[in-house]
Amino acid sequence: MSRFEPSRRGFLAGMGALGAGVALGGCATATTPSGGAAQKGGAVTLQSDLSSPLAEKAMKSLVAAYNKQSTYTVKLNTVAATTYQPLLPTYLTSANPPDIYTWYAGSDANHYSARGLLLDVSKVWSSLGNYPTALKTLSTDASGKQIFVPTDYYWWGVFYRKSQFKKWGLSEPTTWAEFLKVCQTIKAKGVIPIGLGAGTGTAWVASAWFDYFDIRINGAEYHRGLLAGQHKFTDPQVVKVFDAWKQVLPYFDPNGTAVSWQEASNQLLQGETGMLLTGTFFADAVPAGSLDDLDFFKFPVLDPSVPDVEEAPTDGLFASSHTGNSAAVMDFMSWMTTPTAQNMWTQTSSGTVIPANPQATSPATPLVQKGKAMLAAAADLTQFFNRDSTDALQNTADTALVDFIQNPGRLDSILSTWQSQAEKVWNS
Amino acid sequence: MAATTPGPNAVPSARPSAMSSAARPAPRRGPGRSLRTAGFHTGAILLSAVWFLPIALILIISLRSTDDVLGHGLNALPHSFHPGNYASAWTGGGMEHALVNSAVIAVPSVALTLLLASMAAFALSRYEIPLRRTLILVMLGGNLLPPQILLVPVAKLSQVFGVYDTLTTLIVVEVGFGLGFYVFVLQGFMRSIPAEIQQAALIDGAGPFQIYWRIVLPLTRPALAALGALAFTWIFNDLLWPITVLITESKMPVTPALLTLQGQFVSYWNVIAAGSVIAAVPTVAVFLRFQRHFISGLNLGAVK
Amino acid sequence: MSVASTQAHPAGAATAGGLGVRGSRGPRRDRRFKPFGPSPLLIAFVVVPLLIESVAVFWPAIQGVYISLTHWNGVNPPTFAGLDNYRRMFDDPVFRKALENTAIWLVLFGTVSAAGGLGCAMFLQRERRGIAVYRAALFLPVVFSLTATALMWQTLYQPRGLANGLLSAIGLGSWQHAWLADPRTALYAQILPALWREIGYVMVLYLAGLKGIDPALHEAAKVDGASAWQQFRNVTLPQLRSVNAVVLSVIVIDSLRSFDVVWSLTQGGPYNSSQLLSTYMYQTAFVNTDFGYGCALAVVIFVLAFGVIVSYLIRAFKETD
Repeated sequence: MSRFEPSRRGFLAGMGALGAGVALGGCATATTPSGGAAQKGGAVTLQSDLSSPLAEKAMKSLVAAYNKQSTYTVKLNTVAATTYQPLLPTYLTSANPPDIYTWYAGSDANHYSARGLLLDVSKVWSSLGNYPTALKTLSTDASGKQIFVPTDYYWWGVFYRKSQFKKWGLSEPTTWAEFLKVCQTIKAKGVIPIGLGAGTGTAWVASAWFDYFDIRINGAEYHRGLLAGQHKFTDPQVVKVFDAWKQVLPYFDPNGTAVSWQEASNQLLQGETGMLLTGTFFADAVPAGSLDDLDFFKFPVLDPSVPDVEEAPTDGLFASSHTGNSAAVMDFMSWMTTPTAQNMWTQTSSGTVIPANPQATSPATPLVQKGKAMLAAAADLTQFFNRDSTDALQNTADTALVDFIQNPGRLDSILSTWQSQAEKVWNS
Repeated sequence: MAATTPGPNAVPSARPSAMSSAARPAPRRGPGRSLRTAGFHTGAILLSAVWFLPIALILIISLRSTDDVLGHGLNALPHSFHPGNYASAWTGGGMEHALVNSAVIAVPSVALTLLLASMAAFALSRYEIPLRRTLILVMLGGNLLPPQILLVPVAKLSQVFGVYDTLTTLIVVEVGFGLGFYVFVLQGFMRSIPAEIQQAALIDGAGPFQIYWRIVLPLTRPALAALGALAFTWIFNDLLWPITVLITESKMPVTPALLTLQGQFVSYWNVIAAGSVIAAVPTVAVFLRFQRHFISGLNLGAVK
Repeated sequence: MSVASTQAHPAGAATAGGLGVRGSRGPRRDRRFKPFGPSPLLIAFVVVPLLIESVAVFWPAIQGVYISLTHWNGVNPPTFAGLDNYRRMFDDPVFRKALENTAIWLVLFGTVSAAGGLGCAMFLQRERRGIAVYRAALFLPVVFSLTATALMWQTLYQPRGLANGLLSAIGLGSWQHAWLADPRTALYAQILPALWREIGYVMVLYLAGLKGIDPALHEAAKVDGASAWQQFRNVTLPQLRSVNAVVLSVIVIDSLRSFDVVWSLTQGGPYNSSQLLSTYMYQTAFVNTDFGYGCALAVVIFVLAFGVIVSYLIRAFKETD
C-alpha cells in the first residue's frame, strides 16, 4: 500500500491546484439569476409540446399570423411531447427560461405557481369576461391570481370505426353489461376488442381507464379527494375500481403496454383493434381523412346512481415569472384567446378540439358536435389524472397501472406500493 | 455519455491498423486446408451477417412508406420504395439543423481539445515540471469521473454565470471533460520522441514554443490524427452533455435531436429508421476515411 | 511507481510505430530531459488546460458532493441536510433495484463483451482474404451513437418486429414477447444492443493484443505438444494480461455510462424494472427536480466507478513493480 502513497499525496496536491477554480467564485447553488435581465427587445419564446405533425403545422401558422399583426415577435420552439414533460421543471427553474409554454390547467400548474415560477396573468383575464367561470376557477392558483390562459379543451371517449361496428352488427353500448357484450362479440370475430397505447413514454393513457372507473363508480368528489391524498389507494373503493377493470382486462390488447398511443390509434384505424379509449388528440397523429369512419361513445355507466362526469382536459398557455418581456407575453396570450386565433387553430389542426372562447366557432363536424354535447350534459368535469393532481403523482400511477395490467393478480401489493409512493409525493 | 474512454493503462503507440489485411502471409497448411478455409469463411460470413442484419433491416424500413409498414408490418418485404422518409427526418424531424449544430460543436471541440491537450502533454513530457506525475494523474482522474456527478452542478453553474443553453458552454464542457485522457495519451506518445531531436533544436536556439510547434507537434501527428478521429465520434455521438446544458430545441446536436424525432414521429418506424441512418452517416464516413487512425486510436490505450 | 513510468515501461511489443522510432525498445529507463526547466510559457501550457478542466470538471464535482448534502429543488435556496439523502437510499426500493440492475449490467455486459470480443478476435485473428470485411462488419456498430443504436433495436423489438418475427419463423412463436415492455426482459433486451456495439470494440483491442504475441511462443508450445486449449490457456491468455486490464476498465467505464441506451428506450421502465443508477440519477435530478438526492445518487456512482478504477490502478502498480 505504501507504494500508492505518492499518488494519494498527489491527489491532495491536486486539490490545492483547484484553488484556481474556487477563485472563480461561482457556486452551483447560488439562486440569484444571472444579471443583465435578458433584454430580448420585442421577442419572446413560445415553448410548445404540440409536436404531432398536424398540430405543429397549425401552431406554426398561428404564430406566423400573430407575428404579422403585432409589434412583438414570438419565436416558436417545438419540443417532442415525450421530451417536453420531463423537461418542463428544468425549463421553468432555469435562470433564463423560455417565456411562454403550452401546458394545461390544474393543480400541477398551481404547484409551479406556489414555487413562484409562473407569471401572474390576471391582466389577460380582465378582458376575458365571456369565458366561463369554471375555466377561470381552473386557471386560478391557491393565492387567487390567474396563472393560466385556456385556449381549448377536448374530451375522452371510446372511439371505434363505424364500418366495423356495422359489419359486426353492433351498436353503441351505454351500460357496463352492454359494453361487456360488445367486447365478447368483437373477440368472437377474431379482433382484439380494446386497444391500449400505454407503452414507454405514453404510459399515462392507462390512467384514463382508472379515472373513468373511479368517477363512474365512486364519483368525482371521491376521485378528487383520492388524488389530493384524502383517501388511500388501498381503500375498498379503489379495489372496486380494479375489480371492474379486471372484468375487461381479458379484452385488452396484450401488447397494450408495449405500444405508444400513436401506434394504438393506428391499430384502431387498421382494424386490428375494435375500440380505443382516447382523447381527441390522437387525431393529430393519424393520416388526414381517416377520421371519417370514426365515431365514439361515452364511457359506459357502471352505477346509475352516480351522476355522469366526463374528462374534459383544458389546454392553454402559462408563462414564466422570470420572463424579460411580460408585455409581449400578455399580448400574445390575449391574442390567443380571441375568436380569430382560436378559429384559426381549430381549422388548421385536426379540428377535434373545442375552443375555450364561447364566441369562437367549434368545428361543425358531427364528431365535435357530439363531444361538445356530451360535455355540456355532464354533471361535472374532471381534467385528467395528472391535471387533477401532479405530474409526480402521475408517475406513481403509471407504475401501478402498467403493473396491474400486466399482473392483475398482484393487485394488493401494487396498491400498497402505490399508496406508499403517493405518500412520498404528497409529503414532499 | 457514449464516449468510450480507453483505460488508464495507455501505452503510446500508433500501430498500423489491426484491420488492415496486408500482413504476414498465412502459414502453409497440410491437406484439408481448403476445407478448413471454406469452413472459416462460412462461419465468418454468418457472423458478419448476424452483425449486419439489424443495419440491413433498418435500411430497408427507412425506405418503406408509412402505409406499407402499417399495412404489411415491420418484417414484410418492402412493397414500396419511399425515400421521402429521409426528407421527413431531414426537414420535418430537424436532422438538417441538428447536423449543422453537431458540426459547430464537434469541430471546435476536437480542435481545442487537441491543441490544449498537446500543449499540456508537451510541457509535462518534455520538461521537468514540478509535480508532473501528480498533475497527469489529477487530469486523468477528472476524465474518469462519471459524468453524473457533474450534471447538476454544470447545469446550475452555467445558469448562475448566464451561459446556460449556449453552444459555447457545451464546447467548453466537452473539451474540459475529455482533456485528461488526451493529455495522458499524448504525453506518453511524446515521451517516446528521442531527446536528441529536442537537444539539437535547443542548440539551434529554438525556444519551447518553437520546439513544440515545429518539432514535437509534427512528430505527434499520428497520435493526433487517431485521437482526433476518436474525439470526433465521441463528441458527435454524445447525448448526456447536450441534454444537460442545452434546452432550446433548435440548438440541439444530432443525438438528442434523434430522440426528439422519435418523440415526434412516434410509431412512424420508417422515419425513425431514416433519422437513425442520417445520425450514423457522419461517424461512419469519418470511420471509413480515417479507419486506420481510428483503430490505432482505440489501441492507443491497449497495445503493450 | 507512477502511472507515467508504468506506461513507459517497454513491455512486450511496444513500438512508437508511427514515428519510425524504436527508442523505446532499449533497456534505457529514464528518458526525461533534465536540462530544460519550466519557463512561464510552459507553465501556461499546463495551467490553461488544467484551469479549463477545473472549471468544467473539478469545481462542479466538488459542488456535486456539496449539493448531495442538501435538500434542494432548484428554486428555493438549498437547506443543509447532512447525510439525509444517503440515509434515504436505504429504504428506497427504486434505488435498490437500480443498484441491482447496474450490477447485473456490469457483470453480464462485462463478461459477454470480453468473452465475445476475445472469441471474435481469435476467430478473425489470421490475416487472410476477406478478413478486413468481416472485421469491419463487426466493428461498424462501434461508430454509431448509443442512441442511434438503441432506436434501431427498438424497431426490432416492436411486438411485430424482427425479434418476434425470427422467433416465429424458427418455430418458437410461443417465445414472442413485448421485449421492452415486459419487466422481466426489458433490462436484458437493452443490454443486447449495448453488447452488439461493444463486442466489435473489444475485438479490436484483443486483435492488437494477439498481434503483439511473439509467434515463437506458440511454436515452442506446439513443439512441446501442447493442445490448442493448452496453448490458449498457457500462452495466449497470460500474454494478453495487460490487454485484459484495459478491456476491463473500458467495459467498466462504458457500462457505467450506459445511460444513453436506457434513456432512449425505456427511461428505466416499465415500473422501474430497467432502472440503472445513471438513469435514476438523471430522473431524480432533472425530472423530479430533487437535486440533493440526485447528486447523492451521483456520488454513489462516482464511488462505484472510482472503486473499480482505483483497485485496478493499485493492481497495475503492483504488477509493474
